[in-house]
Amino acid sequence: MGGQACVFYGAAQFSKDVDLALLASEENFSRLLAALGALNAKRIAVPRFDPALLARGHAVHFRCQGGAADGLRVDVMTRLRDLPDFEVLWARRATIRDEDGETFELLSVEDLVQAKKTQREKDWPLIDALVEGHYRALGGEPTPKRVAFWLAESRTPERLMGLAQRFPNEARAQSSRRPLLRLAFSGESEALREALDAEARAEQAKDRAYWAPLKAELETFRRAEREGS
Amino acid sequence: MTFEEMPDEWQEWLELTPLERFRQSEQLFAQYLDMGGSLDPDPDPTSPFYDPETSSTGAAYGRPGLRVLRRGAV
Repeated sequence: MGGQACVFYGAAQFSKDVDLALLASEENFSRLLAALGALNAKRIAVPRFDPALLARGHAVHFRCQGGAADGLRVDVMTRLRDLPDFEVLWARRATIRDEDGETFELLSVEDLVQAKKTQREKDWPLIDALVEGHYRALGGEPTPKRVAFWLAESRTPERLMGLAQRFPNEARAQSSRRPLLRLAFSGESEALREALDAEARAEQAKDRAYWAPLKAELETFRRAEREGS
Repeated sequence: MTFEEMPDEWQEWLELTPLERFRQSEQLFAQYLDMGGSLDPDPDPTSPFYDPETSSTGAAYGRPGLRVLRRGAV
């Protein structure tokens, strides 16, 4: 769902880890732990693997040891901020199959963009690239859902102004949800840039607020592990 | 940055299919590791997962040959 998905979608050239979003079920956890066992993966950070902690929004971090995947980090989550339950994400996923018939299930680009709206500065250029790549690939085949996605998520003044020109009715309709679209009509690129920046800052603040109690828990877990070791 | 403003390298990257990107990513990743690249996360104090005590090293991932079966929601 993370950097590897960004590679497929064109927003990154490689990723140093693998991020997995999982259905939270007993059977699925058993399969996950068996797979991690086969990779000799060890937990490398707090929290411990606990479905209840995953359900609260925590991620569990593993590192593979030995074999072809030696050193590879695998992060597991079952809940993502402001995204729907796994069943919905799964229904919206993109599926890719290699020449040997093995499938890779990716978070949809729409959901990946939401997942990347984090407090981390490095995630925001990825959003730009994800949306721009989507527009580049599918701009010639606009559908109502795609136009809504571009208008909701594009993050460059030039693209937004172009979209407002190309899809004025849709942009007007969507401007109540994203007021900065009004600036796209007037061609005020500097004001639009500032509004985009403010939009990002607001999302980052939401993410920090979401993570504040989880980070406090992580610190408690770290202290407990240090004291126990 | 719009596609038109992107450096040539990124424009070429976006012009590839997901399959081609995955194959190229494998090669880049292998080169990165050959050059001694680390699999430790880049230090990022803005990440909620940031913990200066967590780090390690490692090896490659990936396989060739992918094609899109379904595109997802949009």
